[in-house]
Amino acid sequence: MTRLSFWEILKRSKEGPMVEEKDFDLLIFKKTQELQKKYGIKYEPDKPVDMDGDLADRVYQAGFELFLDLGTYCTTTKRIIKVTAEELRSEIDSCPVEVILGQGTDRVKMTHREVEGNQEAIVIAGIQTAPFSDEEMMFKIYKGCAMGGSVDGIWGGILLKIDGQYDVVAGAPSEIYQYKKTAEILRKAVAAAGRPGMITINNAPTSPATVAMFDETLGLRRSDYMEVTGMSEMKVAYDDLNRTAFALAHGVTIHGTHSSVIGGFSATPEGAAIVSVAGSLQLIAVQKAESFRCGAVESRVKSRATRRNLWAAGTAIQGISRNTRLIVDGSMGDHPGAGPGTKQYLYESATGHVISTVMGAHSTEGTRKFVVGNVCNFGTPLESNWMGEVCKGAVGMTRETASHLVKYLLAKYEAHLTNPPEGETFEELFDQETLKPLPHYQDLYEEVKEELRSQGLKFSS
Amino acid sequence: MEYSKLTDKEKALLDSLRDAIVVIDTEAAKEAAQKIIDAQIDPRVALKHSIAEAAELVGAKFDCGELFLPHLVMVGDLMEEVGTILEKDIPPDQIQKKKVIVIATVQGDMHSIGKNIVSTMLRSSGFIIHDMGVDVPSTAIIQKAKEVKAEMIALSSLLTTTMPYQKEVIDDLVSMRLRDQFKVMVGGGPVTRQYAESIGADGYGKDAIEALEEAKRLLL
Repeated sequence: MTRLSFWEILKRSKEGPMVEEKDFDLLIFKKTQELQKKYGIKYEPDKPVDMDGDLADRVYQAGFELFLDLGTYCTTTKRIIKVTAEELRSEIDSCPVEVILGQGTDRVKMTHREVEGNQEAIVIAGIQTAPFSDEEMMFKIYKGCAMGGSVDGIWGGILLKIDGQYDVVAGAPSEIYQYKKTAEILRKAVAAAGRPGMITINNAPTSPATVAMFDETLGLRRSDYMEVTGMSEMKVAYDDLNRTAFALAHGVTIHGTHSSVIGGFSATPEGAAIVSVAGSLQLIAVQKAESFRCGAVESRVKSRATRRNLWAAGTAIQGISRNTRLIVDGSMGDHPGAGPGTKQYLYESATGHVISTVMGAHSTEGTRKFVVGNVCNFGTPLESNWMGEVCKGAVGMTRETASHLVKYLLAKYEAHLTNPPEGETFEELFDQETLKPLPHYQDLYEEVKEELRSQGLKFSS
Repeated sequence: MEYSKLTDKEKALLDSLRDAIVVIDTEAAKEAAQKIIDAQIDPRVALKHSIAEAAELVGAKFDCGELFLPHLVMVGDLMEEVGTILEKDIPPDQIQKKKVIVIATVQGDMHSIGKNIVSTMLRSSGFIIHDMGVDVPSTAIIQKAKEVKAEMIALSSLLTTTMPYQKEVIDDLVSMRLRDQFKVMVGGGPVTRQYAESIGADGYGKDAIEALEEAKRLLL
């Protein structure tokens, strides 16, 4: 069994059938509607955690069929990249069942996880791709995140200015310079936290700036991963494929991410579950990912922990976990609608990360409020630590317990998803010298932790 | 011809066209449009009532989650088909000119979902849309707006580091002495009304529904 050459994929991106993007989009909709009926896939709102493995298997089969039927749309060449069923099966069977990330005592093994499995859930938290006011503040917050014992790695963010006055703009020289600087700060922060080999991840808007962050001494390393993005839905651009080319040449593990869109061309939760599987298969077949995030997102509600989202992504992850030996990342709940310092943030985060872990996924996409805009320092090490504590605590949990817990949590926050509490910044929630939460935030954290413990979540401390 | 002066049978014909559009029944909609022409009902009344009402109903159904993005795309296609049938017998000088909008996700930004939803909502509400896709440079956007004689430029940005490109479009319009020719509306995840005002945009939409209302306010 071998994987299809990346260069063969590039060749197909130049020779595949040329199609209007709009026609491809509508085909996603029409085909998922057909597959939904063919495989008898039905979303039941009162069952946000799917406990029927047979349904998840059908979602997987439908996603497999969708990917073979539609392929991937390359927005650069306006052509379809297709693979055969034999090639796809070979690709799935040839993917690694484990990857090693990080270095030294901070090294971790990320393996295929089973549904309700006891395999360790790797957690890469940190305040993902959020803006920071200055280098010192970025260092402080990331050092605090790295000190969180429950996390295996941290995601980086961005600085909006160079020297406090020049705008950082995507696609411009400032982007390359500043993303490299953030990778340096990230590496220095984990070292200062006593975890020099810890995984650090970041992904810039463009591939040149992403590539520029790789530096074995002061930056992202081969032992971290390169994130490649599958554009929603079932699309790719050459700028995404540039990341794959660099990772292959440089020997970096490739981690993919793709989200179906509920209300988008996937349309329904059932369609989104099917497209989540298809998008995941795209990440391994086209973008050569060795692990990948199987996700869904709402087009209208700014939270990754809506009832429909939880069901769609959770069922898709379960389908892949049951039917393959692939390394799946879930990271559901990574982007709550509520802001830091609120109970709702912790509830949303817990809901998604419990399902993600129980369905057989790791959680490596960081965490932050869904929309932070250009508000700086809008996240603290405590949300990062929470993500880790919840994921590690949910390892080995049954779907039945997860279902009970998720329903309990949804009842707490679901009515507030369209108007969530804004939250507070790092300066308002943390002592900036000791890097410890202010008492009111620590108390809120402990209160929610006790509440979830009483509902069946087994925290390690 | 005014709507209030139509017979019940004629009004029912207009309703059947509206309903066929809402359920995206292409054949029924085209048949209803032809029947309206055959019944010698003023097609401008049909455009005003059937199409406009259908657009409102579809927008409301999208808003409450009953319809999704692909439905809006298909409704937009169907409205154009029906519009062609209805307009063929209207003298060109009596056809109400539709407002033209150029929409794009700005340079350096590959995010398309929000822009696609806004684009489709605007189109299904009767605007002529030129969707330039994602990662589009300022000069290309302005060139297109000039070429198609647009009334508005709508700009989407989902990244903090691409927001400056929204300002760049406005600054370029000023430099090229074209600012008065186009309304500029901005939106996207990190974009706020305050930011829109600070860069001199004319309009802002925090979501597709608000963007549609803003476009109507600025252009109609």
